Amino acid sequence: MPPAEQPAVEIDHVSYTYPSAGIGTTANLAINDVHFSIPQHTKLGILGPNGGGKSTLIKLILGILKPTAGTIRVFGHTPAQARRKGLIGYLPQRIEADRDWPISVHQTIALIRSSRLKPWQKLSTEDHAAIDHAIKLVELTDLIDRPIGSLSGGQLQRVMIARAIAGNPKLLVLDEPTVGVDIAGQQRFGKLIDTLHKELDLTVVVVSHDMRAIAAVADRVACLSRTLHFHDTPEGLTPAVLAQVFAHDVAGVFGDIHIDAHLADDCDDPDHAHQHQHDCGCSSQSDQPNNSGGGA
Amino acid sequence: MNQLAPAIIAALVISIMGGALSIFVVLKRLAFIGQGISHAAFGGVGIALILGVNGASTPGAIGQLSIVVAFSILAALWIAALSRSHKGRTDTAIGVVLSASMALGFVLFTIAESRHDHDDHGHAAHGHEDEHHIIEEILFGNILNTDWTKASIAIAVSIALLALTWLLRRKLIFWAFDEPVIDAYGHNSNRLTNIFLSTLAIAIVMSMQIAGVVLAAAMLVLPGAAALNITAKLKPAFISAILIATVGAALGMLIGFQADLPIGPAIVLTQSIMYLITLIIKTIAIRS
Repeated sequence: MPPAEQPAVEIDHVSYTYPSAGIGTTANLAINDVHFSIPQHTKLGILGPNGGGKSTLIKLILGILKPTAGTIRVFGHTPAQARRKGLIGYLPQRIEADRDWPISVHQTIALIRSSRLKPWQKLSTEDHAAIDHAIKLVELTDLIDRPIGSLSGGQLQRVMIARAIAGNPKLLVLDEPTVGVDIAGQQRFGKLIDTLHKELDLTVVVVSHDMRAIAAVADRVACLSRTLHFHDTPEGLTPAVLAQVFAHDVAGVFGDIHIDAHLADDCDDPDHAHQHQHDCGCSSQSDQPNNSGGGA
Repeated sequence: MNQLAPAIIAALVISIMGGALSIFVVLKRLAFIGQGISHAAFGGVGIALILGVNGASTPGAIGQLSIVVAFSILAALWIAALSRSHKGRTDTAIGVVLSASMALGFVLFTIAESRHDHDDHGHAAHGHEDEHHIIEEILFGNILNTDWTKASIAIAVSIALLALTWLLRRKLIFWAFDEPVIDAYGHNSNRLTNIFLSTLAIAIVMSMQIAGVVLAAAMLVLPGAAALNITAKLKPAFISAILIATVGAALGMLIGFQADLPIGPAIVLTQSIMYLITLIIKTIAIRS
Protein backbone atom coordinates (compact mmCIF):
# COMPACT_ATOMS: atom_id res chain seq x y z
CA MET A 1 0.00 0.00 0.00
CA PRO A 2 1.60 3.30 -1.01
CA PRO A 3 1.93 5.52 2.08
CA ALA A 4 0.38 8.51 0.33
CA GLU A 5 -2.90 6.71 -0.29
CA GLN A 6 -5.87 8.46 1.21
CA PRO A 7 -7.56 6.54 4.04
CA ALA A 8 -11.00 5.12 3.28
CA VAL A 9 -12.40 6.67 6.45
CA GLU A 10 -10.88 9.35 8.65
CA ILE A 11 -12.51 9.84 12.01
CA ASP A 12 -11.07 12.95 13.60
CA HIS A 13 -11.79 13.38 17.32
CA VAL A 14 -15.46 12.60 16.87
CA SER A 15 -18.00 12.71 19.68
CA TYR A 16 -21.71 12.23 19.47
CA THR A 17 -24.31 13.01 22.10
CA TYR A 18 -27.92 11.96 21.61
CA PRO A 19 -30.18 14.84 22.63
CA SER A 20 -32.59 14.30 25.48
CA ALA A 21 -35.56 12.31 24.14
CA GLY A 22 -38.10 14.15 26.27
CA ILE A 23 -39.16 14.81 29.83
CA GLY A 24 -37.38 12.56 32.29
CA THR A 25 -34.50 11.60 30.00
CA THR A 26 -31.07 13.12 29.75
CA ALA A 27 -28.71 13.64 26.85
CA ASN A 28 -26.65 10.55 26.20
CA LEU A 29 -22.99 10.65 25.22
CA ALA A 30 -22.73 7.68 22.87
CA ILE A 31 -19.28 8.25 21.42
CA ASN A 32 -16.48 10.19 23.08
CA ASP A 33 -13.50 11.60 21.21
CA VAL A 34 -12.98 8.71 18.82
CA HIS A 35 -9.96 9.22 16.62
CA PHE A 36 -8.71 6.76 14.04
CA SER A 37 -8.57 6.12 10.35
CA ILE A 38 -9.35 3.10 8.24
CA PRO A 39 -6.83 2.45 5.47
CA GLN A 40 -8.17 1.44 2.08
CA HIS A 41 -8.48 -2.23 1.18
CA THR A 42 -8.58 -3.37 4.83
CA LYS A 43 -11.27 -5.42 6.50
CA LEU A 44 -11.72 -3.73 9.85
CA GLY A 45 -13.80 -5.25 12.60
CA ILE A 46 -15.14 -2.86 15.22
CA LEU A 47 -15.81 -4.85 18.35
CA GLY A 48 -17.68 -3.56 21.33
CA PRO A 49 -20.39 -4.32 23.85
CA ASN A 50 -24.04 -3.58 23.17
CA GLY A 51 -24.66 0.09 23.84
CA GLY A 52 -20.98 0.81 23.22
CA GLY A 53 -21.73 3.20 20.36
CA LYS A 54 -21.15 0.87 17.40
CA SER A 55 -24.42 1.66 15.63
CA THR A 56 -23.89 5.36 16.33
CA LEU A 57 -20.46 5.18 14.74
CA ILE A 58 -21.95 3.49 11.66
CA LYS A 59 -24.63 6.16 11.38
CA LEU A 60 -21.91 8.80 11.61
CA ILE A 61 -19.84 7.13 8.87
CA LEU A 62 -22.97 6.87 6.72
CA GLY A 63 -23.74 10.52 7.42
CA ILE A 64 -27.18 9.76 8.86
CA LEU A 65 -26.02 11.42 12.10
CA LYS A 66 -23.74 14.46 12.24
CA PRO A 67 -20.97 14.48 14.86
CA THR A 68 -21.54 16.84 17.78
CA ALA A 69 -17.76 17.35 17.72
CA GLY A 70 -15.03 16.42 15.26
CA THR A 71 -15.18 15.54 11.59
CA ILE A 72 -15.50 12.44 9.45
CA ARG A 73 -14.20 12.02 5.91
CA VAL A 74 -15.01 9.12 3.64
CA PHE A 75 -12.53 8.94 0.75
CA GLY A 76 -11.94 12.63 1.34
CA HIS A 77 -15.63 13.55 1.10
CA THR A 78 -18.16 14.34 3.75
CA PRO A 79 -20.23 11.22 4.50
CA ALA A 80 -23.28 12.81 2.84
CA GLN A 81 -21.32 13.48 -0.36
CA ALA A 82 -19.83 9.99 -0.24
CA ARG A 83 -23.19 8.28 -0.12
CA ARG A 84 -24.60 10.49 -2.83
CA LYS A 85 -21.65 9.43 -4.98
CA GLY A 86 -22.52 5.80 -4.22
CA LEU A 87 -19.19 5.17 -2.48
CA ILE A 88 -20.81 3.37 0.45
CA GLY A 89 -22.58 0.01 0.49
CA TYR A 90 -24.51 -0.81 3.63
CA LEU A 91 -25.96 -3.98 5.13
CA PRO A 92 -28.24 -3.12 8.05
CA GLN A 93 -28.33 -5.12 11.26
CA ARG A 94 -31.93 -6.15 10.80
CA ILE A 95 -33.29 -6.50 7.31
CA GLU A 96 -36.48 -4.52 7.56
CA ALA A 97 -37.31 -4.64 3.88
CA ASP A 98 -40.97 -5.45 3.42
CA ARG A 99 -41.20 -9.04 2.25
CA ASP A 100 -44.80 -8.53 1.16
CA TRP A 101 -43.57 -6.41 -1.73
CA PRO A 102 -44.32 -7.98 -5.11
CA ILE A 103 -40.71 -7.60 -6.19
CA SER A 104 -38.20 -10.10 -7.54
CA VAL A 105 -34.62 -10.74 -6.44
CA HIS A 106 -33.34 -9.07 -9.59
CA GLN A 107 -35.60 -6.02 -9.19
CA THR A 108 -34.51 -5.61 -5.56
CA ILE A 109 -30.84 -5.62 -6.49
CA ALA A 110 -31.42 -3.39 -9.52
CA LEU A 111 -33.15 -0.76 -7.35
CA ILE A 112 -29.80 0.45 -6.09
CA ARG A 113 -28.96 1.59 -9.61
CA SER A 114 -32.40 2.27 -11.07
CA SER A 115 -33.35 4.58 -8.18
CA ARG A 116 -30.46 6.84 -9.18
CA LEU A 117 -31.56 7.14 -12.81
CA LYS A 118 -33.59 9.93 -14.30
CA PRO A 119 -37.22 8.82 -14.61
CA TRP A 120 -37.02 8.35 -18.39
CA GLN A 121 -33.66 6.54 -18.39
CA LYS A 122 -33.30 2.80 -18.54
CA LEU A 123 -30.57 0.68 -16.96
CA SER A 124 -27.44 0.88 -19.11
CA THR A 125 -25.28 -2.04 -20.20
CA GLU A 126 -22.87 -1.03 -17.48
CA ASP A 127 -25.68 -1.09 -14.90
CA HIS A 128 -26.74 -4.55 -16.03
CA ALA A 129 -23.15 -5.80 -15.93
CA ALA A 130 -22.68 -4.55 -12.35
CA ILE A 131 -25.99 -6.08 -11.26
CA ASP A 132 -25.24 -9.43 -12.91
CA HIS A 133 -21.74 -9.49 -11.44
CA ALA A 134 -23.13 -8.84 -7.94
CA ILE A 135 -25.69 -11.61 -8.40
CA LYS A 136 -22.97 -14.01 -9.51
CA LEU A 137 -20.68 -13.14 -6.62
CA VAL A 138 -23.30 -13.88 -3.99
CA GLU A 139 -24.42 -16.98 -5.92
CA LEU A 140 -28.03 -15.99 -6.48
CA THR A 141 -28.12 -16.65 -10.21
CA ASP A 142 -30.73 -19.40 -9.85
CA LEU A 143 -33.06 -17.24 -7.80
CA ILE A 144 -33.18 -13.96 -9.74
CA ASP A 145 -36.84 -14.24 -10.75
CA ARG A 146 -38.09 -15.44 -7.38
CA PRO A 147 -40.32 -13.05 -5.41
CA ILE A 148 -38.52 -11.69 -2.37
CA GLY A 149 -41.16 -13.08 -0.02
CA SER A 150 -40.28 -16.67 -0.96
CA LEU A 151 -36.65 -16.51 0.19
CA SER A 152 -35.07 -17.83 3.38
CA GLY A 153 -33.40 -15.42 5.80
CA GLY A 154 -29.93 -16.34 4.56
CA GLN A 155 -30.93 -15.93 0.92
CA LEU A 156 -32.48 -12.55 1.69
CA GLN A 157 -29.25 -11.44 3.36
CA ARG A 158 -27.33 -12.39 0.22
CA VAL A 159 -29.80 -10.34 -1.83
CA MET A 160 -29.12 -7.37 0.40
CA ILE A 161 -25.36 -7.87 0.08
CA ALA A 162 -25.73 -8.05 -3.70
CA ARG A 163 -27.80 -4.85 -3.57
CA ALA A 164 -25.05 -3.18 -1.53
CA ILE A 165 -22.27 -4.12 -3.95
CA ALA A 166 -24.24 -3.65 -7.16
CA GLY A 167 -23.80 0.10 -6.72
CA ASN A 168 -20.00 -0.36 -7.04
CA PRO A 169 -19.19 1.05 -3.61
CA LYS A 170 -15.63 1.41 -2.37
CA LEU A 171 -16.60 0.96 1.26
CA LEU A 172 -18.87 -1.83 2.51
CA VAL A 173 -20.36 -1.34 5.98
CA LEU A 174 -21.79 -4.41 7.72
CA ASP A 175 -23.78 -3.88 10.92
CA GLU A 176 -23.92 -7.04 13.10
CA PRO A 177 -24.16 -9.20 9.98
CA THR A 178 -24.25 -12.62 11.61
CA VAL A 179 -26.47 -12.22 14.67
CA GLY A 180 -28.00 -15.58 15.52
CA VAL A 181 -25.93 -17.41 12.92
CA ASP A 182 -23.97 -20.55 13.88
CA ILE A 183 -20.20 -20.75 13.56
CA ALA A 184 -20.30 -22.55 10.22
CA GLY A 185 -22.65 -19.86 8.91
CA GLN A 186 -20.38 -17.11 10.20
CA GLN A 187 -17.43 -18.68 8.43
CA ARG A 188 -19.36 -19.02 5.18
CA PHE A 189 -20.28 -15.36 5.54
CA GLY A 190 -16.63 -14.48 6.17
CA LYS A 191 -15.60 -16.33 3.01
CA LEU A 192 -18.23 -14.51 0.97
CA ILE A 193 -17.05 -11.13 2.25
CA ASP A 194 -13.46 -12.18 1.56
CA THR A 195 -14.37 -12.99 -2.04
CA LEU A 196 -16.12 -9.63 -2.46
CA HIS A 197 -13.19 -7.85 -0.85
CA LYS A 198 -10.77 -9.35 -3.34
CA GLU A 199 -12.98 -9.20 -6.44
CA LEU A 200 -14.21 -5.66 -5.94
CA ASP A 201 -11.23 -4.15 -4.12
CA LEU A 202 -13.43 -3.07 -1.24
CA THR A 203 -12.69 -1.60 2.13
CA VAL A 204 -14.86 -3.50 4.60
CA VAL A 205 -16.02 -2.31 8.01
CA VAL A 206 -17.86 -4.85 10.13
CA VAL A 207 -19.36 -3.98 13.48
CA SER A 208 -20.36 -6.53 16.08
CA HIS A 209 -20.51 -7.37 19.76
CA ASP A 210 -19.64 -10.93 18.83
CA MET A 211 -15.97 -11.68 18.55
CA ARG A 212 -16.51 -14.70 16.35
CA ALA A 213 -18.47 -12.63 13.87
CA ILE A 214 -15.57 -10.17 13.74
CA ALA A 215 -12.97 -12.91 13.52
CA ALA A 216 -14.82 -14.52 10.61
CA VAL A 217 -14.74 -11.34 8.55
CA ALA A 218 -12.03 -8.91 9.64
CA ASP A 219 -8.27 -8.87 9.34
CA ARG A 220 -7.91 -5.90 11.69
CA VAL A 221 -9.75 -4.93 14.82
CA ALA A 222 -10.72 -1.86 16.76
CA CYS A 223 -12.43 -2.03 20.15
CA LEU A 224 -15.15 0.52 20.77
CA SER A 225 -16.84 1.12 24.06
CA ARG A 226 -17.94 4.73 23.92
CA THR A 227 -14.35 5.58 23.20
CA LEU A 228 -11.85 3.70 21.09
CA HIS A 229 -9.91 1.25 23.24
CA PHE A 230 -7.74 -0.19 20.56
CA HIS A 231 -6.98 0.25 16.94
CA ASP A 232 -4.84 -2.17 15.08
CA THR A 233 -1.09 -1.90 14.79
CA PRO A 234 0.71 -4.38 12.59
CA GLU A 235 1.80 -6.37 15.63
CA GLY A 236 -1.53 -5.67 17.28
CA LEU A 237 -4.44 -7.73 18.31
CA THR A 238 -5.49 -10.15 15.63
CA PRO A 239 -9.02 -11.46 15.44
CA ALA A 240 -7.70 -14.97 15.73
CA VAL A 241 -6.14 -14.15 19.09
CA LEU A 242 -9.30 -12.55 20.34
CA ALA A 243 -11.32 -15.54 19.26
CA GLN A 244 -8.92 -17.67 21.21
CA VAL A 245 -9.01 -15.45 24.27
CA PHE A 246 -12.78 -15.24 24.36
CA ALA A 247 -13.55 -18.70 23.12
CA HIS A 248 -16.34 -19.07 25.66
CA ASP A 249 -19.52 -17.02 25.76
CA VAL A 250 -18.43 -13.95 23.92
CA ALA A 251 -21.53 -11.85 24.14
CA GLY A 252 -21.83 -12.44 27.87
CA VAL A 253 -18.33 -11.47 28.92
CA PHE A 254 -17.52 -8.75 26.51
CA GLY A 255 -18.73 -5.82 28.56
CA ASP A 256 -17.10 -2.61 29.71
CA ILE A 257 -15.89 -4.10 32.96
CA HIS A 258 -14.22 -7.00 31.31
CA ILE A 259 -12.29 -4.86 28.86
CA ASP A 260 -11.30 -2.42 31.55
CA ALA A 261 -10.02 -5.25 33.71
CA HIS A 262 -7.77 -6.31 30.88
CA LEU A 263 -6.64 -2.76 30.35
CA ALA A 264 -5.76 -2.37 33.99
CA ASP A 265 -3.79 -5.62 34.06
CA ASP A 266 -1.87 -4.88 30.94
CA CYS A 267 -1.10 -1.29 31.74
CA ASP A 268 0.52 -2.32 35.00
CA ASP A 269 3.04 -4.10 32.88
CA PRO A 270 6.09 -1.80 32.72
CA ASP A 271 6.94 -3.09 29.24
CA HIS A 272 3.90 -1.29 27.97
CA ALA A 273 4.23 1.88 29.94
CA HIS A 274 5.29 3.83 26.91
CA GLN A 275 2.12 2.98 25.05
CA HIS A 276 -1.09 4.87 25.10
CA GLN A 277 -3.24 3.41 27.77
CA HIS A 278 -6.02 2.25 25.49
CA ASP A 279 -3.70 0.70 22.98
CA CYS A 280 -1.83 -0.97 25.74
CA GLY A 281 -4.77 -3.10 26.82
CA CYS A 282 -5.39 -4.77 23.54
CA SER A 283 -1.83 -4.88 22.25
CA SER A 284 -0.41 -6.67 25.18
CA GLN A 285 -3.01 -9.36 24.84
CA SER A 286 -1.72 -10.03 21.41
CA ASP A 287 1.88 -9.71 22.40
CA GLN A 288 1.40 -12.45 24.89
CA PRO A 289 -1.57 -14.38 23.71
CA ASN A 290 -0.67 -17.41 25.73
CA ASN A 291 -0.30 -15.47 28.96
CA SER A 292 -3.50 -13.49 28.85
CA GLY A 293 -5.72 -16.00 27.19
CA GLY A 294 -3.87 -19.23 27.39
CA GLY A 295 -5.53 -20.21 30.63
CA ALA A 296 -8.68 -21.10 28.77
CA MET B 1 -76.75 10.81 -19.84
CA ASN B 2 -74.89 13.83 -21.21
CA GLN B 3 -75.41 15.51 -17.87
CA LEU B 4 -73.61 12.67 -16.16
CA ALA B 5 -70.64 12.65 -18.55
CA PRO B 6 -68.35 14.92 -16.49
CA ALA B 7 -69.10 12.93 -13.34
CA ILE B 8 -68.41 9.60 -15.02
CA ILE B 9 -65.19 10.68 -16.70
CA ALA B 10 -63.91 12.36 -13.52
CA ALA B 11 -64.72 9.27 -11.47
CA LEU B 12 -62.86 6.99 -13.89
CA VAL B 13 -59.74 9.18 -14.00
CA ILE B 14 -59.70 9.58 -10.21
CA SER B 15 -60.03 5.78 -9.95
CA ILE B 16 -57.03 5.16 -12.22
CA MET B 17 -54.97 7.49 -10.05
CA GLY B 18 -56.30 5.92 -6.85
CA GLY B 19 -55.54 2.44 -8.15
CA ALA B 20 -51.92 3.32 -8.91
CA LEU B 21 -51.34 4.94 -5.52
CA SER B 22 -53.16 2.19 -3.62
CA ILE B 23 -50.28 -0.28 -4.05
CA PHE B 24 -48.02 2.10 -2.10
CA VAL B 25 -50.74 2.80 0.47
CA VAL B 26 -51.29 -0.90 1.17
CA LEU B 27 -47.65 -1.96 1.19
CA LYS B 28 -46.48 1.06 3.18
CA ARG B 29 -49.38 0.46 5.60
CA LEU B 30 -50.80 3.93 5.14
CA ALA B 31 -54.48 2.94 5.10
CA PHE B 32 -55.14 4.62 8.42
CA ILE B 33 -53.10 7.67 7.53
CA GLY B 34 -55.49 7.93 4.58
CA GLN B 35 -58.44 7.86 6.98
CA GLY B 36 -56.73 10.51 9.10
CA ILE B 37 -56.15 12.77 6.10
CA SER B 38 -59.68 12.46 4.74
CA HIS B 39 -61.22 13.32 8.08
CA ALA B 40 -58.78 16.18 8.44
CA ALA B 41 -60.05 17.51 5.10
CA PHE B 42 -63.37 18.05 6.86
CA GLY B 43 -61.64 20.70 8.96
CA GLY B 44 -60.42 22.26 5.71
CA VAL B 45 -63.98 22.49 4.39
CA GLY B 46 -64.97 24.19 7.64
CA ILE B 47 -62.22 26.76 7.16
CA ALA B 48 -63.28 27.43 3.55
CA LEU B 49 -66.84 27.92 4.77
CA ILE B 50 -65.92 30.31 7.59
CA LEU B 51 -63.78 32.31 5.15
CA GLY B 52 -66.88 32.68 3.01
CA VAL B 53 -65.48 30.72 0.07
CA ASN B 54 -68.50 29.39 -1.74
CA GLY B 55 -68.06 26.38 -3.99
CA ALA B 56 -70.97 27.33 -6.27
CA SER B 57 -69.01 29.53 -8.69
CA THR B 58 -65.94 28.41 -10.65
CA PRO B 59 -63.41 30.60 -8.78
CA GLY B 60 -65.19 29.67 -5.57
CA ALA B 61 -64.89 25.96 -6.34
CA ILE B 62 -61.17 26.34 -7.07
CA GLY B 63 -60.72 28.44 -3.94
CA GLN B 64 -62.55 25.94 -1.76
CA LEU B 65 -60.59 23.04 -3.23
CA SER B 66 -57.28 24.87 -2.71
CA ILE B 67 -58.07 25.51 0.94
CA VAL B 68 -59.13 21.89 1.53
CA VAL B 69 -56.06 20.55 -0.30
CA ALA B 70 -53.73 22.86 1.62
CA PHE B 71 -55.29 21.88 4.93
CA SER B 72 -55.11 18.16 4.07
CA ILE B 73 -51.44 18.39 3.10
CA LEU B 74 -50.70 20.19 6.36
CA ALA B 75 -52.55 17.45 8.25
CA ALA B 76 -50.60 14.76 6.37
CA LEU B 77 -47.25 16.41 7.11
CA TRP B 78 -48.30 16.94 10.70
CA ILE B 79 -49.08 13.22 10.98
CA ALA B 80 -45.66 12.43 9.51
CA ALA B 81 -43.92 14.82 11.92
CA LEU B 82 -45.86 13.51 14.92
CA SER B 83 -45.05 9.90 13.93
CA ARG B 84 -41.37 10.77 13.78
CA SER B 85 -41.41 12.42 17.20
CA HIS B 86 -43.42 9.52 18.64
CA LYS B 87 -40.88 7.10 17.21
CA GLY B 88 -43.17 5.78 14.50
CA ARG B 89 -46.28 5.58 16.62
CA THR B 90 -48.44 6.60 13.72
CA ASP B 91 -51.71 5.57 15.36
CA THR B 92 -51.28 8.22 18.06
CA ALA B 93 -50.51 10.85 15.42
CA ILE B 94 -53.57 9.91 13.38
CA GLY B 95 -55.75 9.83 16.49
CA VAL B 96 -54.71 13.38 17.36
CA VAL B 97 -54.98 14.87 13.86
CA LEU B 98 -58.22 13.11 12.89
CA SER B 99 -60.19 14.12 15.97
CA ALA B 100 -58.78 17.65 16.15
CA SER B 101 -59.66 18.34 12.51
CA MET B 102 -63.13 16.80 12.74
CA ALA B 103 -63.84 18.86 15.88
CA LEU B 104 -62.54 22.00 14.18
CA GLY B 105 -64.70 21.29 11.12
CA PHE B 106 -67.92 20.89 13.13
CA VAL B 107 -67.22 23.98 15.25
CA LEU B 108 -66.60 26.08 12.12
CA PHE B 109 -69.71 24.70 10.41
CA THR B 110 -71.80 25.66 13.42
CA ILE B 111 -70.30 29.16 13.55
CA ALA B 112 -70.85 29.62 9.81
CA GLU B 113 -74.41 28.40 10.20
CA SER B 114 -75.29 30.78 13.05
CA ARG B 115 -73.66 33.66 11.18
CA HIS B 116 -75.79 32.74 8.18
CA ASP B 117 -78.93 32.84 10.40
CA HIS B 118 -78.02 36.31 11.64
CA ASP B 119 -77.25 37.65 8.19
CA ASP B 120 -80.59 36.89 6.61
CA HIS B 121 -83.32 35.79 9.06
CA GLY B 122 -85.83 35.65 6.27
CA HIS B 123 -84.09 32.76 4.58
CA ALA B 124 -82.94 31.03 7.74
CA ALA B 125 -84.82 27.83 7.12
CA HIS B 126 -83.48 27.61 3.61
CA GLY B 127 -79.93 28.24 4.92
CA HIS B 128 -80.17 25.38 7.42
CA GLU B 129 -81.19 22.98 4.73
CA ASP B 130 -78.23 24.12 2.64
CA GLU B 131 -75.69 23.57 5.42
CA HIS B 132 -76.98 20.11 6.24
CA HIS B 133 -77.01 19.20 2.60
CA ILE B 134 -73.41 20.41 2.28
CA ILE B 135 -72.27 18.43 5.34
CA GLU B 136 -73.88 15.26 4.02
CA GLU B 137 -72.27 15.83 0.64
CA ILE B 138 -68.88 16.32 2.22
CA LEU B 139 -69.19 13.24 4.42
CA PHE B 140 -70.53 10.84 1.81
CA GLY B 141 -69.81 12.52 -1.51
CA ASN B 142 -72.10 13.66 -4.28
CA ILE B 143 -70.67 12.88 -7.64
CA LEU B 144 -73.88 13.95 -9.41
CA ASN B 145 -72.95 17.47 -8.43
CA THR B 146 -69.93 17.33 -10.74
CA ASP B 147 -70.07 19.82 -13.61
CA TRP B 148 -67.42 20.21 -16.30
CA THR B 149 -65.50 22.74 -14.21
CA LYS B 150 -65.14 20.40 -11.24
CA ALA B 151 -64.50 17.46 -13.53
CA SER B 152 -61.72 19.30 -15.42
CA ILE B 153 -59.98 20.22 -12.17
CA ALA B 154 -60.25 16.65 -10.88
CA ILE B 155 -58.96 15.18 -14.14
CA ALA B 156 -56.04 17.64 -14.40
CA VAL B 157 -55.03 17.11 -10.79
CA SER B 158 -55.31 13.32 -11.05
CA ILE B 159 -53.15 13.24 -14.17
CA ALA B 160 -50.59 15.50 -12.47
CA LEU B 161 -50.45 13.13 -9.47
CA LEU B 162 -50.08 10.11 -11.76
CA ALA B 163 -47.24 11.86 -13.60
CA LEU B 164 -45.47 12.74 -10.36
CA THR B 165 -45.78 9.15 -9.12
CA TRP B 166 -44.41 7.88 -12.42
CA LEU B 167 -41.47 10.27 -12.29
CA LEU B 168 -40.59 9.20 -8.76
CA ARG B 169 -41.62 5.56 -9.18
CA ARG B 170 -38.22 3.95 -8.56
CA LYS B 171 -37.38 6.11 -5.58
CA LEU B 172 -40.88 5.58 -4.16
CA ILE B 173 -40.65 1.82 -4.61
CA PHE B 174 -37.25 1.76 -2.90
CA TRP B 175 -38.60 3.99 -0.12
CA ALA B 176 -41.76 1.97 0.42
CA PHE B 177 -39.89 -1.33 0.18
CA ASP B 178 -36.96 -0.60 2.49
CA GLU B 179 -37.17 2.85 4.06
CA PRO B 180 -34.60 2.18 6.84
CA VAL B 181 -31.69 1.88 4.39
CA ILE B 182 -32.44 4.41 1.69
CA ASP B 183 -30.71 7.28 3.47
CA ALA B 184 -27.51 5.23 3.51
CA TYR B 185 -27.81 5.04 -0.28
CA GLY B 186 -28.01 8.78 -0.77
CA HIS B 187 -31.79 9.22 -0.86
CA ASN B 188 -33.79 11.31 1.58
CA SER B 189 -36.42 9.22 3.32
CA ASN B 190 -38.06 12.14 5.12
CA ARG B 191 -38.41 14.07 1.89
CA LEU B 192 -39.91 11.06 0.08
CA THR B 193 -42.30 10.48 2.98
CA ASN B 194 -43.44 14.10 2.82
CA ILE B 195 -43.85 13.99 -0.97
CA PHE B 196 -45.85 10.79 -0.91
CA LEU B 197 -48.08 11.86 1.98
CA SER B 198 -48.79 15.17 0.21
CA THR B 199 -49.63 13.27 -2.97
CA LEU B 200 -51.87 11.00 -0.93
CA ALA B 201 -53.57 14.01 0.68
CA ILE B 202 -54.41 15.55 -2.71
CA ALA B 203 -55.55 12.16 -4.04
CA ILE B 204 -57.87 11.75 -1.07
CA VAL B 205 -59.40 15.19 -1.56
CA MET B 206 -60.06 14.23 -5.22
CA SER B 207 -61.63 10.93 -4.17
CA MET B 208 -63.76 12.78 -1.62
CA GLN B 209 -65.70 14.28 -4.51
CA ILE B 210 -66.85 10.77 -5.35
CA ALA B 211 -67.01 9.04 -2.01
CA GLY B 212 -66.88 11.77 0.64
CA VAL B 213 -64.80 12.08 3.80
CA VAL B 214 -65.89 8.76 5.23
CA LEU B 215 -65.25 6.55 2.20
CA ALA B 216 -62.56 8.37 0.18
CA ALA B 217 -59.62 6.53 1.73
CA ALA B 218 -61.22 3.19 0.81
CA MET B 219 -60.69 4.00 -2.88
CA LEU B 220 -56.97 4.31 -2.14
CA VAL B 221 -56.82 0.98 -0.31
CA LEU B 222 -59.22 -1.56 -1.82
CA PRO B 223 -57.76 -1.79 -5.36
CA GLY B 224 -54.21 -2.28 -4.11
CA ALA B 225 -55.26 -4.79 -1.45
CA ALA B 226 -57.22 -6.75 -4.08
CA ALA B 227 -54.39 -6.66 -6.64
CA LEU B 228 -51.85 -7.94 -4.12
CA ASN B 229 -54.11 -10.92 -3.42
CA ILE B 230 -53.65 -12.15 -6.96
CA THR B 231 -50.09 -11.27 -7.96
CA ALA B 232 -46.58 -11.18 -6.47
CA LYS B 233 -45.05 -9.26 -9.36
CA LEU B 234 -44.46 -5.55 -9.54
CA LYS B 235 -45.89 -4.43 -12.87
CA PRO B 236 -48.88 -6.82 -12.79
CA ALA B 237 -49.67 -5.52 -9.29
CA PHE B 238 -49.91 -1.90 -10.47
CA ILE B 239 -51.84 -2.86 -13.62
CA SER B 240 -54.34 -5.01 -11.74
CA ALA B 241 -54.85 -2.34 -9.09
CA ILE B 242 -55.64 0.23 -11.77
CA LEU B 243 -57.98 -2.22 -13.55
CA ILE B 244 -59.77 -3.20 -10.36
CA ALA B 245 -60.19 0.46 -9.40
CA THR B 246 -61.58 1.46 -12.79
CA VAL B 247 -63.83 -1.55 -13.31
CA GLY B 248 -65.06 -1.17 -9.72
CA ALA B 249 -65.87 2.49 -10.31
CA ALA B 250 -67.62 1.80 -13.64
CA LEU B 251 -69.69 -1.08 -12.24
CA GLY B 252 -70.46 0.89 -9.09
CA MET B 253 -71.71 3.85 -11.08
CA LEU B 254 -73.79 1.59 -13.34
CA ILE B 255 -75.43 -0.13 -10.38
CA GLY B 256 -75.87 3.19 -8.58
CA PHE B 257 -77.55 4.90 -11.53
CA GLN B 258 -79.75 1.89 -12.32
CA ALA B 259 -80.87 1.22 -8.76
CA ASP B 260 -80.93 4.90 -7.77
CA LEU B 261 -78.36 4.39 -5.01
CA PRO B 262 -75.79 6.89 -3.73
CA ILE B 263 -72.88 6.60 -6.18
CA GLY B 264 -69.91 6.88 -3.80
CA PRO B 265 -71.02 4.07 -1.49
CA ALA B 266 -72.03 1.97 -4.55
CA ILE B 267 -68.48 2.26 -5.96
CA VAL B 268 -66.80 1.48 -2.64
CA LEU B 269 -69.14 -1.48 -2.12
CA THR B 270 -68.35 -2.83 -5.61
CA GLN B 271 -64.62 -2.49 -5.00
CA SER B 272 -65.08 -4.26 -1.65
CA ILE B 273 -66.81 -7.15 -3.38
CA MET B 274 -63.97 -7.31 -5.91
CA TYR B 275 -61.55 -7.45 -2.99
CA LEU B 276 -63.51 -10.37 -1.51
CA ILE B 277 -63.42 -12.20 -4.84
CA THR B 278 -59.62 -11.82 -5.06
CA LEU B 279 -59.34 -13.05 -1.48
CA ILE B 280 -61.30 -16.17 -2.42
CA ILE B 281 -59.09 -16.67 -5.51
CA LYS B 282 -56.00 -16.34 -3.31
CA THR B 283 -57.31 -18.84 -0.76
CA ILE B 284 -58.14 -21.37 -3.45
CA ALA B 285 -54.75 -20.86 -5.13
CA ILE B 286 -52.91 -21.45 -1.85
CA ARG B 287 -54.87 -24.65 -1.11
CA SER B 288 -54.49 -26.20 -4.53
